[in-house]
Amino acid sequence: MTVAPGWTSSRFVGRMALGTAAGVSLAYILLPMFFVIWLAFFVQEIPSFPPEGYSLKWFRAIPGNDRFVTGFLLSLQVAVVATSIGLALGVPAAVCLVRGRFTGRETVNNLLLLPLIVPGIVLGIALYVFHVETEIATGWPILGSLGGLVAGHVLIAIPWTVRLITASLVGMDRAVEEAAQSLGANRLITFRRVTLPAILPGIVAAALFGFIASFGNLEMSLFLVGPGRTTLPIAILQYLEWKIDPTIAAVSVLQILFVGGAMLLTDRFVKIGRVV
Amino acid sequence: MAATGPTQFQSDEAPTSLLSATTLVGPATVFVAAGLVVPLAILLRYSFNHLDPRRVMVETFSLDNYVKFFADPYYTGVLLTTLRVAALCTVACLVLGLPLAYVLARTQSRFKNMLIMLVVLPLFVGNAVRAAGWMTLFGSKGFLNVTLTQFGVITEPLQIMYTESAVAAGIIAVNLPYMVLTLQSVIEGINRNVEEAAFSLGAGPMTMFRRVLLPLSLPGILAGTILTFILGMNAYATPVLLGGPKFKMMGPLVYGQFQLNNWPFGASVAFILMTATLGLTVTANILVQRRFRR
Repeated sequence: MTVAPGWTSSRFVGRMALGTAAGVSLAYILLPMFFVIWLAFFVQEIPSFPPEGYSLKWFRAIPGNDRFVTGFLLSLQVAVVATSIGLALGVPAAVCLVRGRFTGRETVNNLLLLPLIVPGIVLGIALYVFHVETEIATGWPILGSLGGLVAGHVLIAIPWTVRLITASLVGMDRAVEEAAQSLGANRLITFRRVTLPAILPGIVAAALFGFIASFGNLEMSLFLVGPGRTTLPIAILQYLEWKIDPTIAAVSVLQILFVGGAMLLTDRFVKIGRVV
Repeated sequence: MAATGPTQFQSDEAPTSLLSATTLVGPATVFVAAGLVVPLAILLRYSFNHLDPRRVMVETFSLDNYVKFFADPYYTGVLLTTLRVAALCTVACLVLGLPLAYVLARTQSRFKNMLIMLVVLPLFVGNAVRAAGWMTLFGSKGFLNVTLTQFGVITEPLQIMYTESAVAAGIIAVNLPYMVLTLQSVIEGINRNVEEAAFSLGAGPMTMFRRVLLPLSLPGILAGTILTFILGMNAYATPVLLGGPKFKMMGPLVYGQFQLNNWPFGASVAFILMTATLGLTVTANILVQRRFRR
């Protein structure tokens, strides 16, 4: 840090205070995760302090716990399918929104980002009554079905796709595409050989963000799961409504590791600091 | 997640043909319209219906559900609690979020991206997992009570779980990353030289913040405040887990009515929640813009 003009002791004090305040705030954000991780290694079942000792037994017990294993598998399955459909719908839409010119473009863009803004609870109950009406009208048993759950998750994957692809297209130099076209490439070839490789990191980031958003979704899913079908976040919530112990903490640690891993992977393609 | 400003579209070419625009953007638009707008419309319609215990629901058109909500002090109490907690959490997030957002925006550190990831990670880990952390901290034999007892601050464990304070503490932690990310993206857009100019003209850090940074980052502050307020109003997992069965906010109330199969009343509660949230944010938006328009 170079000494800038106007560097005074009051600025130094201000800087120290600022750094401390920022540190406190970051610690506050991370505090609950720290305690979950700590609890997962307690030897005793009751979360009392100080711990009587440490153990890995709660982690070893997870594979035998059906609720969490099936919840994890369902969340994984739903997130993968929903993200794929979200990409298939979202990527062409984003390309058209950025590169095309048509009336109502701003409106369509806002509509596609809307599912991020509508609160999860309201979205969930709205989808539920929609499923009820659809089932009455068509006789198609969508209520509480896997298809209904996946469709809901597609709805939250689309805005992430549109947002991230839009960001990477806006950041891309138009001249490269124009060069390709002036060299005789048609629109399709230009897209496949020039645009697509350039926005590939954005597509990967969109896939991972959509996946993470779907995998961790709780509020909307509460209304869409059927009997005997529980996603991991719902299984965690239901367990915690009953009790808190190292078992659920260990499951939470695995969720933290899984999501953290997905984020680190995303970061290799697109710097997370630039897209959130 | 962060402030969604208008996207910068570059378009200097001829209007896209209707056909190709429709094929590219159409499927996603239809999906979101059918999967979001139509359900919300049906939900609104349901809220005017009437619950018949024998037939689940009777189609009518009345405001009975809304009257029932506002005539019953229990329900208005839930709404007031929700408003109070959301407002408190929003203020706390603003105060806690500004310094961190500023440091993240201005740091030259090579760990900047890692720090941002630490802010984002909790968002995706989910509210239930973080509520579990607070439960470990707040329980009668939890870390906070044991530590306070050891230092002789208290002799009897405090009842922290299942109080409004516990819920507020949890919601602040949930919403803080949204506030930080929104503010950070706005502060990054403010030219650093204006700060240096203020300092070189003799302003202290507080004066610089009050006279330069604060007015310039106002759009971000507004966006972040609105976002955290909306999230606070609609919180679900945190009030359920940290507030317990007796503490009620609007989110759990909507889900509870739905579980009782009272769809019409649940729908109207959902709409009261959405209207209260949107109404207040729009009002705040207009007031702030009027106040600072030149």
